Amino acid sequence: MKTIYTILVISGISLGMVSCGGFLDKYPTDSVAASKALVTLYDAGVAANGLYTDLKYYTLYGRYFVEMGDMRADNLYPRTLNGTSSTIYTLDYESEANTYFSLWNAYYTTIMKANTLIQNIETLEVTSDSDIATKNDYLGQAYAVRALCYFDIARLYGYPYLYDNGASLGAVPILTPVAPSESRVPRETVAQTYSRILDDLTNALGLLSKEKNLGHFNYWAAKLLQARVFLYKGDYPNAYSAAKEVIADSPYRYVPNTEYLAYWGKEGDDESVLELLVSTEGDIDYDGGFIALYHNLWFDDSNAGAGIIPTKKWRNLFANTPNDVRAQMIAYDDPETGMKKTGEYWLKKFIGNQDRGYTFRRNNPRVLRITEAYLIAAEAGMETNAPDAASFLNIIRKRADPTAQDIPVTLDAIQTERQKEFIGEGHRFFDVMRRGGTITRDMSIDEHDYAGTSAYKSSFSWDYYKVVLPIAKSERSIYPELQQNPGYKD
Amino acid sequence: MKKFISFALAVFCSTIMLAQTTVTGTVTNSDDGKPISFANVQLKGATTGVYTDDNGKYSIDVPANATLIFSSMGFITQEIPVGNKKVVNVLLHPDAIALDETIVVAYGTVKKGSYSGSAAVVKEDAMKDAPVVSFEQVLAGKAPGVQVASYSGQPGSEVLINIRGFGSFNAGNQPLYVVDGVPATSGDWSSGNISTSAMNFLNPSDVESITILKDAAAASLYGSRASNGVVLITTKRGKTGKLISTFKASAGFSYFAYDNYPLANDAEAEELHRQAWTNYGNDNPSVWRDYGSLENYVKEKVAENYPAKDESKYIYKDWEDVLFRTGVSQTYEYSISGGNDKSKIYASLAYTDQQGVVKIDYLRRFSTTINAESQLSKRFKIGGTVQYSWQYQDGHQDGWASKDNPFFMWKVVFTERWPYAYKADNSLVLEPLNPNFSTVNPIASYEAQVNDAWQNRLLLKGQAEFSFTDWLKVKSILSSDWLYVRDRFGWLYGHPNFYAYSDIGGYMVDNHRNVDRMVSSTTLNFNKVWGKHNLSAMAGWEAERERYYYTSVGKIDFSYLGATESIFGANFDGGYSYSREEGLLSALGSINYDYAAKYYVTGTYRRDGSSRLAPETRWGNFWSVSGSWRFSNENFFDAKWLNDGKLRGSYGTSGTLPSNYFGYMAVYDYGKYGMLGASYPSNIANSGLTWEKNKNWNIGLDATIFDRYTFSVEYFNKKTTDLLLDATIPSTTGFSTTLMNVGAMSNRGWELSLNIDILKKKNWDLSFGVNWSTVKNEVLALSQENEETINTPWIWKEGYAFYQYYTRNYLGVNPENGNPMYAEGSFYKKGDIVDQEVILKNGTVIPEGGTMPKDGYNYAPTSRENASSMILDGKTSIPKGYGGFNVDLRWKDLSFSMAWSYKYGHYIWDEGTEQLANDGYTSYGQNILVSQTDTWRDDNKGGSIPRRVTSNNQGGYYYSSRFLKKGDFLRLKNMTLSYNLPQNFVNKIGLLNARVYVAGSNLLTFSGLDIDPEIQSSGYYYYSMPALRSVTLGLEISF
Repeated sequence: MKTIYTILVISGISLGMVSCGGFLDKYPTDSVAASKALVTLYDAGVAANGLYTDLKYYTLYGRYFVEMGDMRADNLYPRTLNGTSSTIYTLDYESEANTYFSLWNAYYTTIMKANTLIQNIETLEVTSDSDIATKNDYLGQAYAVRALCYFDIARLYGYPYLYDNGASLGAVPILTPVAPSESRVPRETVAQTYSRILDDLTNALGLLSKEKNLGHFNYWAAKLLQARVFLYKGDYPNAYSAAKEVIADSPYRYVPNTEYLAYWGKEGDDESVLELLVSTEGDIDYDGGFIALYHNLWFDDSNAGAGIIPTKKWRNLFANTPNDVRAQMIAYDDPETGMKKTGEYWLKKFIGNQDRGYTFRRNNPRVLRITEAYLIAAEAGMETNAPDAASFLNIIRKRADPTAQDIPVTLDAIQTERQKEFIGEGHRFFDVMRRGGTITRDMSIDEHDYAGTSAYKSSFSWDYYKVVLPIAKSERSIYPELQQNPGYKD
Repeated sequence: MKKFISFALAVFCSTIMLAQTTVTGTVTNSDDGKPISFANVQLKGATTGVYTDDNGKYSIDVPANATLIFSSMGFITQEIPVGNKKVVNVLLHPDAIALDETIVVAYGTVKKGSYSGSAAVVKEDAMKDAPVVSFEQVLAGKAPGVQVASYSGQPGSEVLINIRGFGSFNAGNQPLYVVDGVPATSGDWSSGNISTSAMNFLNPSDVESITILKDAAAASLYGSRASNGVVLITTKRGKTGKLISTFKASAGFSYFAYDNYPLANDAEAEELHRQAWTNYGNDNPSVWRDYGSLENYVKEKVAENYPAKDESKYIYKDWEDVLFRTGVSQTYEYSISGGNDKSKIYASLAYTDQQGVVKIDYLRRFSTTINAESQLSKRFKIGGTVQYSWQYQDGHQDGWASKDNPFFMWKVVFTERWPYAYKADNSLVLEPLNPNFSTVNPIASYEAQVNDAWQNRLLLKGQAEFSFTDWLKVKSILSSDWLYVRDRFGWLYGHPNFYAYSDIGGYMVDNHRNVDRMVSSTTLNFNKVWGKHNLSAMAGWEAERERYYYTSVGKIDFSYLGATESIFGANFDGGYSYSREEGLLSALGSINYDYAAKYYVTGTYRRDGSSRLAPETRWGNFWSVSGSWRFSNENFFDAKWLNDGKLRGSYGTSGTLPSNYFGYMAVYDYGKYGMLGASYPSNIANSGLTWEKNKNWNIGLDATIFDRYTFSVEYFNKKTTDLLLDATIPSTTGFSTTLMNVGAMSNRGWELSLNIDILKKKNWDLSFGVNWSTVKNEVLALSQENEETINTPWIWKEGYAFYQYYTRNYLGVNPENGNPMYAEGSFYKKGDIVDQEVILKNGTVIPEGGTMPKDGYNYAPTSRENASSMILDGKTSIPKGYGGFNVDLRWKDLSFSMAWSYKYGHYIWDEGTEQLANDGYTSYGQNILVSQTDTWRDDNKGGSIPRRVTSNNQGGYYYSSRFLKKGDFLRLKNMTLSYNLPQNFVNKIGLLNARVYVAGSNLLTFSGLDIDPEIQSSGYYYYSMPALRSVTLGLEISF
């Protein structure tokens, strides 16, 4: 009998282990089940912050997007012939190497985040006016972020709008969270993509707060983005009025000459309409750190110095204007006495966020600055014969160089000013392309070794097939509906 | 002692018997004339008896006209009437059927002869003297269908076992480990800076046997975890008889087993540098303009990049001596074993200390095992196990971590001309002289490096067995398996590579993990014989819960030189903790029937429910049926030469659970945006996620003929469907991959083994065994038709192997100009009109605009940039065949054994040669393989190595089939010579047995590779520590 009790006790103990409810219902503790992740307005705010984490990462504004804008043009180039940077510089991308496709993936990840927030925030019930305003602001941010993503996809993977009035292939329209089975949608035209971008921005402008919101879209950031989209589209009257509204009514003010160099080390300055935030601690290698563009621009890194340096052509822009504050961003590494003794010039623009104790590796990427509103107003004003067009250009010129004299507004003058102003911010390539200009890179000027490489092209304009990026072969193998850009082999 | 027992028994017997006389005698084996120890000698009608001693001698008191029963396991029992005899010597005849060994199988034991599944058994004898930390290392070449690969030659690192090919893309290809009936935690739980296997907790001497379950019939009782096979480990139990103590001590020495990466000598290296710069200057005249002449330029460049020794300034040392030493290992073990009819106990205590070959590597381990069981009453049996081990490992980072990896530094970075210290003050040279590597003198960096791991493991098990009748019993097991792993990695204040982290003053990360697993099972066992019908059945349930806790703390800015704990870091660098819980609930059952020991049928069933799957899909059924026909027992098959013969076959299913614990669930991750909290969806929901399904059939033939030859042949076919794969999904979902069940893969092959008892005499034993296995692995389908998943250097594609290489095809040196040539590599389908001149593999030229006669690649030679990757048919890391053979010889008290293992028909991806055989890509002063000396030159146009040029962007640095090498090898894995000291001498000094032995491992290796051929199963090699050769001396006494 005793033994039967013993058996019963042992079986009892082991059964007891199981019988506590939910033996097989487990939940993660290092992440949160989606059903529990978005139930309060606070959760929605955290999810709204999540909209920006990929944008600031090296795959987009932390590095690759910027390189696509500067290195495919004539502002920056890699010092040595290897790595991703040199492939971007020489336009040596092909559909087989999916590295350049990582931007596409990162944008769609952000679009998915925005779509998820747009869909789920609907179910949040809020009653007070301030809560409703907050909820609307989060929703507005999701629309604005989505607009930015589609705009960048259209710029990277589609031909410039004015090249063929948006007839080329643009983005894949994904407006809600989709399962893999619903995701194989063909690309729309650039024109259709632009119309979606403008719709999203209209929605966003109706929802967003006009207060400053460091690191996040607010009304003014969306408005300035709208001005830029109109400008790219050739809708100059709308571009002009949107840019002027930002200049006139927003709380943002351009940084004066004396503070210009220090501005790049500041967070939340009035110059920045939208800057993305990198962390001040931990994970420096990834979070705006080691593999971000800024690290490669910096000279005093752990290896042999900056991997990316400004072209001589860009440096020569200041040959006759020594008083231009931006000329001071050029530093020379003397072969005898310099830090690395390379005899190269480097760009000392992104100095790291000084007042937060950042090091050179940590820079908040600038997406929208008030200076851009001035230059958009100048360009769109010029196209619509607005009388104040030249003044917008000259304000920016004189901010940089107080000794400069006023000049009449021309496209060349605007493009030159943009080139000087936006180096390292990812504009130059798109600025030349959207106006149908030609990018020329001359080896005899730039003294680099790339002329010999097969992919290098010293001069091209918007009819060259490589001004748009390829769709990755690996993606098309599982998603054949996704059309390849013309000219690329799979 | 033995005499005492006999005496006691005699006294005991005499108290109940009348008219006693004493009978003595010897029991011997009729086959070889050897004495049989522990044979039972029993008086017919009595319940007790005596056992023979080591010399087969016995002594028993008997009444008049008694009959004695002589029995021993594996022999035919004999009854002998004593009559008036005082001495009864008995020859016992081996019993062919009873000889059947009992083997441990899923949820029980079985006689080998009646088993219809496929299982390989490795016994204690095969591993007892091998100088290894972990038992898995001994399995190489010993069991057909089983491949073994070490992650690294570093002491204590994980050993990977691969059973019958690869069944899974993502869910792992490691078998389930079961220790004494309880599924155990296995694998490497460290952070990866140092490899540490959870299975190290078992001292190999505590292992009685290992059974490797290979087919469905054998393994599917383990259901959703059985697809990759199951390794059943049985630890030693107490043996009936007096308490025997055994003490074993061994000491060994080790060093590299192979001439890894033979390097060019100093003069050759200098000459190769000169060639590289000369050719570079010739190709680019502009580079030497400022130098006046090419000669000056070359002279200067060589002096700069391969600077001559400056003995007046520096002290030079042999880097091999600086970094490495002869490894010394010591092991001490003490165990006791014994028991009576009722209670048995085995207990052991062991200490192992291994100093690695790398000067900073070492391992220490204490381990103990206690197995006890007792028959409390006629019906009730209870037992328990305690196993505990403590292990500490200190070592280097292996593989990729080139700055710290001593093997990399020795082979690649440190040339003979790399100075060790300054002559002036004897201070170490700490400038990174090679701009490619920030490596500096490791003596300084190792001082400020922390890289270690602790493992504590405690297994507790209690079991109780109650017999309702002699044919029905219930058995319950409750066990707890607790594993604690702590590992640290840090570069502390004062580390010479510090400037790489110039904004922090050192860092360290300290990780703690607890894996706490509880398993409970209760089974009801039925076993009954009706005449020639034999029926047994088992039914039960099992519940398993694993809890995992993880804590990690990272600190930076160490202000105290020599600090080794994170508390000394001034600033926080990141830290977190989380836990995870998993449940598995199962019902299981099996039924076995046999008729007249001729026909056997078995069915098994298991139903598993797992918390890793969604509620709708978490329950699954796994089953098998198998049968065998023992034709040798048929009356019509009366062949004297056939001792035993059996045909068997099985079919069944098993599964593999996702390695991701919540892969089916949509979840949000939490991170940071600036300093703000941020959340975002991180996994797309897939509520249909299920396990991988494995369908498995196996047929085999086992036979023993002429008392001498035992062979076994089997063929298996294993098909896995619903493979778990982090499948690429359209990026428009916002995710790049999701865990899905896609595709199918098959593994099939032959397994053969043969054992020959060549000699079986009183003084001589000689046996020879060989086994050979093949496996053909094929990916049958991926998620989409024509999908290619490229994971350089491999590709997954329908119709090719799991580890199919995909790279540029190197075509050798162009004798005209010395440039390397690569196949252009465009793929055309049959009937395609080619857009360029195409050369097929067989040399056929198809002009531009011509039609392809069949699917194929273009083999036209071209430059590296213009060559595409292509599938190289037949080049996979999966061997065509592998196995081993062994010879065991005994002459009187001397025994000798050796075990070889071999593998052939596979290719390895020797990525290490990107550094050592790069045709001049890196012109900096690093080492060069001696095979690089045969460069193409004007005076050596037949050179096998392309023309050497600085910054060579065509050559060996770039991925191509030059990295692929035939991996064939033959290796003498273990060799042991052992001598049993003469029994009468041993007895005189009060011992039962004494033995001395010398054992060696990896003593001889035959391979065409530049690097040790035992490489992980993926075939990939990049500077992990190669295998070691070791020689161990040992002494074992028992008393």
